[in-house]
Amino acid sequence: MTMAATSHDTPVETAEHHARKQPDRTFWLLAPGALWMLLFLVAPILMMVYVSFWTQTTFKIEPTLTLKSWVTFFSSDTYLGALWTTVRIWLIVLVCTLLVGYPAALFVGLFVKNKTLSTALLVLCVIPFWTSFLIRVLAWRPMLGKEGAINMILMKLGVVTQPIEVLLFSELSVIIGMTQIYCVFMVGPIAFMLGRIDPSVIEAAQDLGASFWRIFRTIILPLSMPGVVVGAIFVSVMVLGEFATSAALSGRKVNLLGNIIVTQVGSLKWAFAAVAGVVLTILMGAVVAALLRVVDLRKEL
Amino acid sequence: MNASGIKVSLGLYTALFIIFLYGPLAVLAILSFQTGPEGGPQFPIIEWSTYWYKHLFGLTPPSRIAPLPIEQALVRSLGLAVMTMIVSTVLGVTAAQAFRKKFRGSGVVFYLIVLGMMVPGVLVGLGMALVANALGIDRHWWGTAFVLHVVYTFPFAFLVMLAIFNRFDPSVEEASWSLGVTPARTFRKITFPLIFPGVLSAMLFAFTLSYDEFSRTLFASGRDLTLPLAIYGTFSVEVHPNVFAFGVLTTLFSFALLGTYAVLMALSVRRAKRMAIQEEA
Amino acid sequence: MSSVLQLKNVHKAFAGVPALSGIDATLADNAYISLLGPSGSGKTTLLRVIAGFEQPDGGEILFAGKRVDSVPPHERGIGFVFQNFALFPHLSVAQNIAFGLENRVVDPVTDPKVVAARVRDIISLVGLSGLEDRATTQISGGQKQRVALARTLVTEPSMVLLDEPLGALDANLRMRMRSELRTIRERCGVTFLHVTGSETEALAMGDTVLVLDRGRIAQSTDAGSLYSRPASADVARFLNCYNIFSGTVEGEGFHSPVGMLALGGSRQASGTPAYAIRYDRVSIRPQDAAAAGDEVRIEGSFVASEYSGAAINSFFTLDDGRVFEVETHLSHVAPTAYEERGRYALVWKREDALVFV
Repeated sequence: MTMAATSHDTPVETAEHHARKQPDRTFWLLAPGALWMLLFLVAPILMMVYVSFWTQTTFKIEPTLTLKSWVTFFSSDTYLGALWTTVRIWLIVLVCTLLVGYPAALFVGLFVKNKTLSTALLVLCVIPFWTSFLIRVLAWRPMLGKEGAINMILMKLGVVTQPIEVLLFSELSVIIGMTQIYCVFMVGPIAFMLGRIDPSVIEAAQDLGASFWRIFRTIILPLSMPGVVVGAIFVSVMVLGEFATSAALSGRKVNLLGNIIVTQVGSLKWAFAAVAGVVLTILMGAVVAALLRVVDLRKEL
Repeated sequence: MNASGIKVSLGLYTALFIIFLYGPLAVLAILSFQTGPEGGPQFPIIEWSTYWYKHLFGLTPPSRIAPLPIEQALVRSLGLAVMTMIVSTVLGVTAAQAFRKKFRGSGVVFYLIVLGMMVPGVLVGLGMALVANALGIDRHWWGTAFVLHVVYTFPFAFLVMLAIFNRFDPSVEEASWSLGVTPARTFRKITFPLIFPGVLSAMLFAFTLSYDEFSRTLFASGRDLTLPLAIYGTFSVEVHPNVFAFGVLTTLFSFALLGTYAVLMALSVRRAKRMAIQEEA
Repeated sequence: MSSVLQLKNVHKAFAGVPALSGIDATLADNAYISLLGPSGSGKTTLLRVIAGFEQPDGGEILFAGKRVDSVPPHERGIGFVFQNFALFPHLSVAQNIAFGLENRVVDPVTDPKVVAARVRDIISLVGLSGLEDRATTQISGGQKQRVALARTLVTEPSMVLLDEPLGALDANLRMRMRSELRTIRERCGVTFLHVTGSETEALAMGDTVLVLDRGRIAQSTDAGSLYSRPASADVARFLNCYNIFSGTVEGEGFHSPVGMLALGGSRQASGTPAYAIRYDRVSIRPQDAAAAGDEVRIEGSFVASEYSGAAINSFFTLDDGRVFEVETHLSHVAPTAYEERGRYALVWKREDALVFV
């Protein structure tokens, strides 16, 4: 009797053990990565929020909670100006990348019927992404400078007699630089979405006598919208966190929130930097959340 | 305007667009051959020379223009990129492996990982500097900066591997188990060789992104500069063509890396093809 | 006859939807067993539960007398042949076959000479000689099937599960592989559990046929008995060789939509009452021909006939609109041409009908 009971119990136990093993395996596979992100991504961001309420003295911060840094931020023309500049540059660059990138995406994704050629063109667009970001930013200096390539060409052609000085070390140069660097992230997703359009739909519309503009408005544009939104998310996230392009091309004339953070850290004003960081985080969260309402990123990718 | 007219004008536009993408780099490359040390970073080219390349390696007589501090920085950047590549590829493969099974909370974990590539470097860098200050930890490129590099590149490796596993047929693994082979050995002998092209892509992503990273490194690496930080340092001072020469070299290095990757991929495709040809012979 | 595998009340559900609802079965050692079921009957799930790829929610699985439902797949010693073959694409034919021998956790073969010898033996057994060094992407479907089989058999499992192994092959090859599978199994002396959705395949191959219906074993018997004595109307329907009428038994007759059918033979207890007559038990006679006393007679209009080698299948519409099929073996009678839309008498012996009550 006892024997029978024992021999029956053991397998039941192992069965339960094995059933538990599957979730365990998933847990241990995920634990290192998730822990890494919690410790080195989530914790630093929370720390930043926390420190924004610390007390800032001349060269150090003390963990006495205060709203002083926040009050300073929102009563300072410099900081509010930086916030406004960030929003303005972001919007302008977003529109520019879309305007500059969309026609190229239209050609690569829709008009090039040859798959190899369209892949080659996309690769050609992506290759600069593999080279140094800072070098690409810096490359605009000899392009836009007073004695730069563009001024030289314009003068040779006789379009202008004096070099255009506003090209470099201005808001314009920052916008040109950012547009060039980030428009690839707009072209990629849009070309991808356009590539999925069934060409026979467009041919059918043409056969029915629809003009190109009409086809564009009623078929191409709506079908490419998810690509536009995904591209907009990429560009927004990168432009909002920028500081290098403005540091390289604006001659300190354009101060983004990112530049504020860099200067504040440079002068050991950690609490102010943290406030600017939190403001930037909130701004970015709002932008991404708004764009994600338009399209489900996980589904489209 | 008819369809072919639109096609031609869009084609011309795309050509201009590609000039827009590559033009500045081309100008930079041309100016890197400016004569030195008197020639500046602008047109016209006074005389073609490789002076600034020699200057970069300290092969020119001393002049008022200080050489770029790249030697140490290059070693650090390469070391950092290799460390980052190894760790983020391992994390990416294991996390993507976990995602092959449905589990509760997968959405939260997915966004937690992807957040790493979305949050701007300046924010994570600042946060990490604050944490290090609070804990009294010294900031180093191999410590605080390294963990942030992984935070940035691990999501890329994860997404690449996720895409690879999406197309992976799990029945070959089950076949191996049913032959009496343990899951661990099955992974090593069956799964890994089959996902290797994906692993290679993940490694390329991680290496390149880390090698080029500067905004996280800026706050988190302490006093020792990495290569991108050395370049960033020149932003606030007068730029000389030696930076352009360096830009050409580092671009060539990136292309060499891409080329190596392409060769490795082609080799693995060729190996499969060679077995196919053997059969036909 | 000893048994190799026993299933006791095995349950499995996916997200609350039951796939297996209480499977009880005992599989004989050294036998060819077919598992027949329509799509969605849970047959692949059952196979995956036996192999250990899926965990049962309840019940017991005993393999070679030992309980295995908590044992991981690689420790079970049960072979599995996949419908898509699941060959290792980065290994050659010979490497695929040697893989299990070299890498298994229990008793791996480390001597390359022994591996080579055993691979050679199994390759000649399944008829793959000369293809050893080919890539798996460059052999035909039938050859892939043999590699998948050889890869499993070389590890000498006492049982092999085959998940629709012929499903990916073309019709010609399927017929040839049927007899080869049986021959190979006999030579190896292992139990094959062959899952299929094709009733002809199940009947042709299995020493025993298990019929799976909605997560339950509906019948388990030899092929001949299954064909002539299906246990229920549903099983008869899967066999695809019975005309089935629903209705009720009233005294000595079966009340069907086409009228009263006189009863003569035995009756079987089954869930739902039904009357089934096999296609090849029916004879077609002119409308005015009289039926004998022990015969059942209905009428139908001829629609079309289909010639399939040794037999002709003729289709009639009955008065309620249903299609009635008759199979006439040409070895018995010469083919007759029927008049389209003409009325004919369809007649069978009372005791040939199966009556489920």
